Amino acid sequence: MAENKKMSTAEILAAARAAKAAQSAAAVEAPSADVADTPAPKPAPAKAAAEKPAAAKPAGAAGGRPSVAEIMALARAKKEAEQAGTPAAAAEKPASKPAAPKAPAAEKPAAAKPAAKAAAPKTVTRDTASILAAARTGAKPGPVSKADAPPRPVAAAEPASTVVKAAPAKLAAAPALPPKPVKPAAKKGADAEQDRRGFLEMALGSFMATGFTALSMTGGLFGLGLARFMFPNVLAEPPSRFKVGFREGFPAGKVETKYVAQYGVWVVNSDVGGQQQIYALKTVCTHLGCTPNWLEAEQKFKCPCHGSGFYKDGVNFEGPAPRPLERYAIRIADDGQLEIDKGRTYHEELGQWADPESYITV
Amino acid sequence: MHSNGLFLKDVAGFLGSYYTGLAIMNAVAALVLWKRKHRVGDAILWSCVAGALMILASLAMSGSPTWVPHLPEWLRKLVNTLSGPVNYTAGTTLLFVGAFVFRKFFVKPMVAWTVFNAALLLMGLAMADENFASIVMKPDNVPIVGLVFLLAFFTWVATKQAVENDERIAQGLPPLEKENDEKVLVWPDLVYTELICMVGVAAFLLAWALLLPAPLEEPASSVKTPNPSKAPWYFLGLQEMLVYFDPWYAGVALPSMVVFGLMAMPYLDFNKKGNGYYSINERKFAYLTWQFGFLELWITLIILGTFLRGPNWNFFGPFEYWSPYKVEVLNNVDLPQMFWVNLLNRPLPRVASDAPWYAQVGTILLREAPGLLIMAAYLFLLPPLLAVTVFRKYFAKMGFVRYLVMINLMLLMLSLPLKMVLRWTLNLKYLISIPEFSLNF
Repeated sequence: MAENKKMSTAEILAAARAAKAAQSAAAVEAPSADVADTPAPKPAPAKAAAEKPAAAKPAGAAGGRPSVAEIMALARAKKEAEQAGTPAAAAEKPASKPAAPKAPAAEKPAAAKPAAKAAAPKTVTRDTASILAAARTGAKPGPVSKADAPPRPVAAAEPASTVVKAAPAKLAAAPALPPKPVKPAAKKGADAEQDRRGFLEMALGSFMATGFTALSMTGGLFGLGLARFMFPNVLAEPPSRFKVGFREGFPAGKVETKYVAQYGVWVVNSDVGGQQQIYALKTVCTHLGCTPNWLEAEQKFKCPCHGSGFYKDGVNFEGPAPRPLERYAIRIADDGQLEIDKGRTYHEELGQWADPESYITV
Repeated sequence: MHSNGLFLKDVAGFLGSYYTGLAIMNAVAALVLWKRKHRVGDAILWSCVAGALMILASLAMSGSPTWVPHLPEWLRKLVNTLSGPVNYTAGTTLLFVGAFVFRKFFVKPMVAWTVFNAALLLMGLAMADENFASIVMKPDNVPIVGLVFLLAFFTWVATKQAVENDERIAQGLPPLEKENDEKVLVWPDLVYTELICMVGVAAFLLAWALLLPAPLEEPASSVKTPNPSKAPWYFLGLQEMLVYFDPWYAGVALPSMVVFGLMAMPYLDFNKKGNGYYSINERKFAYLTWQFGFLELWITLIILGTFLRGPNWNFFGPFEYWSPYKVEVLNNVDLPQMFWVNLLNRPLPRVASDAPWYAQVGTILLREAPGLLIMAAYLFLLPPLLAVTVFRKYFAKMGFVRYLVMINLMLLMLSLPLKMVLRWTLNLKYLISIPEFSLNF
């Protein structure tokens, strides 16, 4: 067996067992296996992997005697072996039927196993170590899949054509697996491409460079586009400096709430520390930022979220709010109107309410 | 209270079917008991209850103020006047303690069934009140009502198994879970069960979505806060905590500690008993700590936030109209104010705002000295004190680091009820209040 040198111990054992069984029981099987293996050593690992898990399963499940499925598979395998001379038929089968790829994979072990059973029924079938090893090797190069299974019968029929056919589709998927003999064939297939690639390389540098250049250019353009969003053509925000009318509009003791919806500010005319002041309070609760409501009847600002309460001068007195409401800068503009600047705030706890810009004396 | 007549006409159909549902439920229970031959007496009792509920159903269907079964006016007023955050918390704590002490009584199926029926009946009677119904029947709140019953049921089931296991262990028998630990297959047993549940839940949610449409409100606005403004129901415990603390603590630190504590739990637990089976006696400390934290500090706060907090986050009795103009005196002061002004009768230590930074920091530290000392004692003095007294055994078994983690988590957990009590009794706002750096505790 040519494939022996690159098989794991378990595979060698299994293969040896299969070979022995084939020798002793059915001579029909041997050619099939040899035809598959000798001319094209390259797909061997994949094939071995494909057949191993399948081989393990029937052995574990079937127990003493071959099941119907195994008998069927054996029959199918025989037929296949006969057909080996006609490559076209064999090659077409896996392609046309979705179920077909499975059959070739199963045929080998099924064929080998009943034979083995006939020869040495007790020793072979229930070997846990071999089942495990089979499962492990099966897991490593990937399970029996559509990609792995179909090329096998084709290879059995006509190795040269398989290599050419498989090269574009499969070579890239398992580059490490194919050993020496394949290389010239693969090279030959790739040579035609080499020219085209060489042309592109000449034109654009390596493909990686091309890709990354394109990526970074796209990214840069996208970033510029994003940055443009930071400077919108139209800003729907109200200005941070605005006029609220003349001081006569704010009689003593009044909390003006009509600017809350647009500007988020209360304009209050109230007595603060013995001095009548007009000041602008920010409508943000100092606890968690909800908008309190002015309750005229109780003369307090009350927050609906956690029940913080503030006096008319903005000082907190109930609930969890830790500090008084903040004031905005306020001044009398040149035209005599009150102008509020939301750009500057004044905190009581930092002693900023003493700042003459935070209020207007009446 | 509002015009009860119209409201009752609207709600009559629902109440009628509600009582009918209860009657059918009890009739089925009676049938089940009847089939177990030796429970004939119970079967007759519960079929009588079913009959009585059918009478209530027909009365409720009438929709007339005189006939619809309801709680008397004086009782509703009494409940309203008695309810408040203090009484509510004290009541739920008592309930918690009572349910724990008398757990052997409450896990009896007949007792539990009676309590369950009584609760449902009481809810039916209360729903004839417009204010109660408007809160309980609100589409947001319907699932919470259901969850309360579901939680009670699951707690009961677990407690029942724990009590049974405790009795078995006392007799020297293995726990129930060890006795019949028969395994079932994932396929088909579990997968089929899951499939059936999936279909059932999907159908239920579909029906629910059709019957109770989602209550959508107007588009959000940064300058308009709905009143009351409530978090999603599962965060209402957090929102209630925020009433007593600064956001950084109740909104960030404490929830993080909750998550951290839940993750640390398996590493702190050195008790090997109770592994794989329910038991209370074998792990009383773990059980009580958990149940207190979960039921008392989380679930009851969710219920409080959902049903009893109204406009302006004021507390409202279950039968009280949610008036946005309710006046409640909640004035509170910080500890420095209490200490320096009220106790020592001198002004708060102050410094000019243009003073050098060390003078400012020194003044703040002096001002907050009482609160800082109390917190230091709570967090640094109490753990070693407890280690040599109450938790002597735990300290020996857990070792220094594990004990320290455990006791700190516990003290942080207890900081919530302690702060609540301080707020109610002393009108204390913050122990440490440094608004200059937004640092309050």
